[in-house]
Amino acid sequence: MSAKHKVTIIEPSEIVSAGLKQLVEYGGNFHVVKIFKSLQDYSENQNGNPDIILVNPSVLPLGDNTDPRTLLSAKDFTAVVAIYYAPYDDNTIRNYNAGVGIFSTQEQIEKKLQSVLKTPSDKEQDDNSNELSARECEILTAVAKGKTNKEIADEFNLSIHTVISHRKNISHKLGINSIAGLTIYAVMNKLLDVEDF
Amino acid sequence: MDNKTNAPTFSAKTKMSEIITSSSLLSIIERLNIKLGFGEASINEICRRNNLSTELFLKICKVYAVESFVPDIENLTREDIPEIIGYLQRTHKYWTESFFPNLHSNIHIMLESCDGTSKRMLNKFYDDYDEEIKKHLDYEENTVFPYILSLSKCEQKNANSYRIKDFEENHSNIEEKLQDLKNIVIKYLPESASQQSRINVLNEIFKIEDDLNKHSIIENKILIPLVSKFE
Repeated sequence: MSAKHKVTIIEPSEIVSAGLKQLVEYGGNFHVVKIFKSLQDYSENQNGNPDIILVNPSVLPLGDNTDPRTLLSAKDFTAVVAIYYAPYDDNTIRNYNAGVGIFSTQEQIEKKLQSVLKTPSDKEQDDNSNELSARECEILTAVAKGKTNKEIADEFNLSIHTVISHRKNISHKLGINSIAGLTIYAVMNKLLDVEDF
Repeated sequence: MDNKTNAPTFSAKTKMSEIITSSSLLSIIERLNIKLGFGEASINEICRRNNLSTELFLKICKVYAVESFVPDIENLTREDIPEIIGYLQRTHKYWTESFFPNLHSNIHIMLESCDGTSKRMLNKFYDDYDEEIKKHLDYEENTVFPYILSLSKCEQKNANSYRIKDFEENHSNIEEKLQDLKNIVIKYLPESASQQSRINVLNEIFKIEDDLNKHSIIENKILIPLVSKFE
């Protein structure tokens, strides 16, 4: 028997999360390992890497247009699926792998979740993918130009916390920590013109 | 290669000649001013002849020979302090007079065939790093070591407001940029830099990484705790 796929739910309403858990687990393919009520609850208490995070976008900070994957520190192989009560605009859902409305049937939910699951080979590839994302390249360029975390946060409309976590990820991927070293990387990879500084 | 995995267990009675199994242990002998030509003499005997505490010698050797060994200051005395300082100073001297100039010229050779921008930036990166190391070592040589030596000489508390904890707080990390340089050479240097010249630079970096690491173990686990005891 193959192991059930692990699902984490982040949803403020207990009624909704309990109902979702029932429906998600009904088909026998998914197991809800943990339910959180808020982003803070999640950040402080989550451990392990679920295959799917079902999250109500209302728990994420308003006005911060950061990718929810970053806010949730989701691993590359984890799919992030929005739970919505009422139709959201496409822009909000765009950042998620899929959306599940609370009026969906059990079959619809099952199908949605199956569709976002990554295959084992995807997982392997994603795990090995250490290339910088487009957003990380932008932030690296700003760092190399000598901008402070605060300036970068303002420029990209992010929280300082998010900028710091981007910077940690960048240094981890490149193996370069000093600003001078990051600048060399940026120039060698044509992210930055030498004339810029 | 350092023979770390099969590190011999040695004690005061071990023959001195038996523990010289790697270049790093050889450099300890040199930095402690111990002359080769041990014959069959034991570690204890050689240390006695050189006016050196056997305890201290064994601790330093173990830091280099035994992976993840953390020394303590048990059985060390005030008299060992100048010996530790001397050891650290001779290490600094080796770095500034021999090791870093050598690394610099290897980097220079490696960058010769790179394009103007990479060459200029990496040269500047290294020059800045060089400056950082000089500052770091100068601070130890001119502020920390004289303070410690004056402390070790007199019984009274030092009137100077400097304390060894200031050293702990100001002890900057000179390994970060070295890591960066290593990764740049391994991962990102343009192909025009020859393979052999890169390998030479990397081998040098591996060597100094290990030395820097052991050096800070001696400073942080032996020197600082020992000095705090007498402050």
